[in-house]
Amino acid sequence: MIFIKSIYNEVIKIALKPRSYLGIAAITVLVGVILFALKSDGMSVISFVTSSFEQTLSFEGNVLNGNLVAFIILQMLIVQIPLLIALVTGDLVSGEAAMGTIRMLLTQPISRTSLLLSKFIAGGIYTLIVIIWLGFMSVIMGKMLFGTGDLMVLNSDGLVILQEADVNWRYLGGFLVAFLALFTVSSLSICLSCFTDNSIGPIVTTMSIILLFTIIGTLDVHVFDSVRPFLLTTHMASWRSFFEDPLPIQDIKNSILILFIHNVLLISISIYVFNKKDITA
Amino acid sequence: MSERIIEIQSLTKKFGHFEAIKNVSFHVNQGDVYGFLGPNGAGKSTTIRCMLSLIKPDSGTIKIFGKSIFTDRNEILSRTGSIIEKPDFYKYLSAYKNLEIFSRLSRVSVGKKEIYKMLDFVGLGGREQDKFSSFSHGMKQRLGIAQTLLHNPDLIVLDEPTTGLDPQGIIDIRNLILRLKNEQHKTVILSSHNLAEIEIICNRMVIINKGVSVVEGDVKALMNNEDLVVRLEVSDKDKSKALIMSQYPNIHITDINETSIELPMEKSKISELNKDLVHAGIGIFSIEAKRKLEDYFIKMVNA
Repeated sequence: MIFIKSIYNEVIKIALKPRSYLGIAAITVLVGVILFALKSDGMSVISFVTSSFEQTLSFEGNVLNGNLVAFIILQMLIVQIPLLIALVTGDLVSGEAAMGTIRMLLTQPISRTSLLLSKFIAGGIYTLIVIIWLGFMSVIMGKMLFGTGDLMVLNSDGLVILQEADVNWRYLGGFLVAFLALFTVSSLSICLSCFTDNSIGPIVTTMSIILLFTIIGTLDVHVFDSVRPFLLTTHMASWRSFFEDPLPIQDIKNSILILFIHNVLLISISIYVFNKKDITA
Repeated sequence: MSERIIEIQSLTKKFGHFEAIKNVSFHVNQGDVYGFLGPNGAGKSTTIRCMLSLIKPDSGTIKIFGKSIFTDRNEILSRTGSIIEKPDFYKYLSAYKNLEIFSRLSRVSVGKKEIYKMLDFVGLGGREQDKFSSFSHGMKQRLGIAQTLLHNPDLIVLDEPTTGLDPQGIIDIRNLILRLKNEQHKTVILSSHNLAEIEIICNRMVIINKGVSVVEGDVKALMNNEDLVVRLEVSDKDKSKALIMSQYPNIHITDINETSIELPMEKSKISELNKDLVHAGIGIFSIEAKRKLEDYFIKMVNA
């Protein structure tokens, strides 16, 4: 019961912290700008992609539809979302230490493990809300402004055209995998947050790690070949697998498993460190 | 004999090579207002943090309510209220919201009415919805006290609760502690570097210095008014010393400077000493009497 109350507390604290709304506001502004740009001059972007296929294919109907707009938005924003998540979750433990409230919390009759797990769950709830908002802004607003239609996706393998009726469940699957990836970012930042009493450090370190992993992932150097499949950033882009035809089920399962293992490891390390930590602040 | 609420045995904690507390042992009885006295950096907060499981000691045992803090932490903390150093709350939340958050983690059901009543009790009535960031130091301290008392704990631990308060705030906190003891029979641990404060409020105390418990016992006995250290500023120091030694052969006289000496003496004999020195033609510029423990503590703080 105290554990449930502690989760509620953590959610309330996130909800009442002004910083938490930066992410939501940033998504609203960014998506708004992209939607405005595509509405104003979206066809030129589309013709840039379709021009190379025009000799062999003819495109008819509403090509620049809500499904495509949502896909473009997700592809553009998925890099920025981890920062917005870490901005809130990286502060969940170290922020309490910096403020001094950690002393008050840890003299309450709740175990350190329960308290920390409630922070992970609250971080997960925040991540879910951000993802749902991103989904609303991209998919729902996209469809409202641009209508609906078949989704045309350009992959490394070529052009994939997905039937309109075949798209919604793919978005749902894509968002669930994106949630898992972003929850891993949240777990990473909370884990780093357990090591320090500085509230900015874990946020900057999380972003540095993501940047480093992204560079390692994109560098075509053989020395990183063995590491690349296990990097968090490799699987952050797994949501895109849902927009391939046929669906690469094994790749998706593999990504889910690796992200899940990441979470188990990060949460275990956090619990160990947090339980060992002397509160001297 | 009163029930022992706290029993600390041979508590030791090192931070790297620095030994913050060494073999600290003491006990607190039910209903005690127990003073935890020592200069800044003496190890008071480390000991209190160990008691509340904020810091894990390297060795020693801590029993509170007859149970070990290492195995029955949650049960012990559900019966304990504490302020460590200064009460820090969420700056962006109101006084009410802050108390509501902490009350959810206590094992006692605390409603809106109780929170309002407690805020009123500590003098924050009417400021319930004001943000913590807008509070003065005294108000923050009061909110800390409210949080400490909200779940009606049996043991209250207050680490330097009067630091930074104005004189009226200090008196209010003192009165509150005395009310908790006298009316509600709570056991209170009060940490302070102010000997006068401990003397006024506490019935038992321990003095900690450089991580070691130096003296423990009944405050009245330790602060015995009869057992004094007398500092004399005289015209002829050597002649004075010779005179005193002839009358009190076993006394230890300490030279302070060119004109001053210090010696332990019972209160009743000071006037007699004064008379003897005057009769011997020695000019007395000043006589200052301090209680032994006070003198010891001042030396400890100055060191």
